[in-house]
Amino acid sequence: MMNEPDDIVISVKNLSIGYGERVILEKINFDVRRGEVFVILGESGCGKSTLMKTMIGLYPPQSGEVWIEGGNLVAAEGDERLRLLRKFGVMYQSGALFGSMTVLENVRLPLDEFTELPEPLKELVSLAKLKLVGLGSASNKMPSELSGGMQKRAAIARAMVMDPGILFLDEPSAGLDPITSAGIDLLVSGLARHFGITFVIVSHELASIYAVADRVIMVDCQSKGIIAQGKAAELRDGATDPWVHRFFNREADASHTIQPT
Amino acid sequence: MPTLPPTQPTECEVDVDVQSGADGHARVALKGRLSSRTVVNCWNKLEQSFRGATIKTLEVDVSGVDFCGGAGFALLRYLNEGRMTPGAKVSVVGLVAGFQTIFEGFTAQDYEAFHPQPQKQRHPLVEEAGHATRQILGDFRDQLEFLGGVAANLPPSLVNPKRMRWPEVRHVFELAGANAVPIVSLVSLLLGFIIAFESAQRLAEFGAQIYVANTITIVMVREMGPLMTAILLAGRSASAFAAEIGTMKVNEELNALETLGLSPVRFLVVPRLVAGILVAPLLTCYSILMGVGGGALVMLGLGFSLMLILHQMATSVHLEDLAVGISKGVVFGIIVSGVGCWRGLQTEQGPSAVGLSTTRAVVTSLLLIIVADACFSTISYFLK
Repeated sequence: MMNEPDDIVISVKNLSIGYGERVILEKINFDVRRGEVFVILGESGCGKSTLMKTMIGLYPPQSGEVWIEGGNLVAAEGDERLRLLRKFGVMYQSGALFGSMTVLENVRLPLDEFTELPEPLKELVSLAKLKLVGLGSASNKMPSELSGGMQKRAAIARAMVMDPGILFLDEPSAGLDPITSAGIDLLVSGLARHFGITFVIVSHELASIYAVADRVIMVDCQSKGIIAQGKAAELRDGATDPWVHRFFNREADASHTIQPT
Repeated sequence: MPTLPPTQPTECEVDVDVQSGADGHARVALKGRLSSRTVVNCWNKLEQSFRGATIKTLEVDVSGVDFCGGAGFALLRYLNEGRMTPGAKVSVVGLVAGFQTIFEGFTAQDYEAFHPQPQKQRHPLVEEAGHATRQILGDFRDQLEFLGGVAANLPPSLVNPKRMRWPEVRHVFELAGANAVPIVSLVSLLLGFIIAFESAQRLAEFGAQIYVANTITIVMVREMGPLMTAILLAGRSASAFAAEIGTMKVNEELNALETLGLSPVRFLVVPRLVAGILVAPLLTCYSILMGVGGGALVMLGLGFSLMLILHQMATSVHLEDLAVGISKGVVFGIIVSGVGCWRGLQTEQGPSAVGLSTTRAVVTSLLLIIVADACFSTISYFLK
């Protein structure tokens, strides 16, 4: 066990990630505080999703540690790893709902597998979570009958059905229309504020970042590290790094575009 | 809304105190943490306490609860609706403001509105028969459309070779043909062994073991060579074609072809069909050779000379037998590659769609191979 200040729930220490010999991010360090909405951002292909998947234990890092609620997930094995995995829920970019199950069955699956709750309570818990994400009336539908935004909401309900203190969301707004995307943002803000859930979100949707993020870090594939961190609005207005400035102000890289005549 | 305390990592037991009086009034006091783990014990204690009791009013005091998760709220809602104490008037008291808001966020009306309704009854028999007929007719129409597409696209590609995607044909030829050589070798060789041993036992009773060579040759050339090759191709290639084209359809790659003005039949089906037509007879010939070789090895083991075996084999088979075997190879090749592509194009949306197409491709291929084989046997019998 590690002694961390009480409000730090995730601590990433000297983490290097990559594929084989190829290093994507090298020796990065950051902390996530309890109850905050923490956003990892960066350009496409810079390793944001790989970083998140390393943080949740799907990919082994090249080196470094990921401490979640006082336990090092990288080194944890067996029951200790399972205990740490229960601390958080994950929503994948595509929703990753099981296509052969109804929405309700998807949400109650962790309850069936990991609890001995009586059947009526399992159903009540699952329906309450679905109502919380605005999908109460879709409980009996198959995932293929839902829109992209609804699938993401259902995935959030499944991720939070075991009452984890931390939720990881991979590109929650990607591919959604502005109204649906704003709805997801509201849901995230509401869950963070009312239930004290800590969010770690991977995104590059600026509108969503400004709407929900308490703190952001920006990773960069050139320097293989974190090139900016802080509040999104402050970085937009005061970033000195030209790349960070361009990113937050949505300015194109002139060398990569066809110039208008 | 107030901010609730975050989920705590530690677990401790919940304290359940149940008091019931003779007047039908009961009081439950809960203390501690109501999490998905502790709620199970809580439920068991409450159910035990209320079993057989007549309760008119129930008060649930949760002022001692310091954490309430989803399972805790579900328990309180279950109690509050009187589902554990039917007929009783239930009140939940002592909820802190934040808990109260969440508790009221999911009501009995919500449960009634959202919980899944019982599944519809099964369709009546006539309706089921109608659905099945419609499906069969739809399948038949798809087949005709597919054959029409092939008929429209194959001849122009053959007449004008520049229209043919030869690199794709070569690639499929390698995957379906060259890569299948080891499995075809093993299966055919062992098949020759098996047929030779089985027939040798029976023919020995008549002192006619020399005719094992005739048997194995005629069986492999006319029947088992083409049939085993086709079965292996159906298992390896028809399924691969269906899975590949099915995945492309799910990923909207077929739509992309259409909007680029390219016919999926010309682009995907024709190269596979041509490769299948070329590869199946070649593999059939190879399978025949391996099977006959396996039989010859058994004959050598039985003490016959190689020259005698070869002589028997050469005199037992005629050119028309070889023509029948190779013709079967061509037809089976068309069936395997055509059905694989057709089932792939039929793939629908959903996670199990590609798997279903693959299964259908193999089953349909095998069925049509057997039907075609039966047709060959019947026709050759009457033509003799």
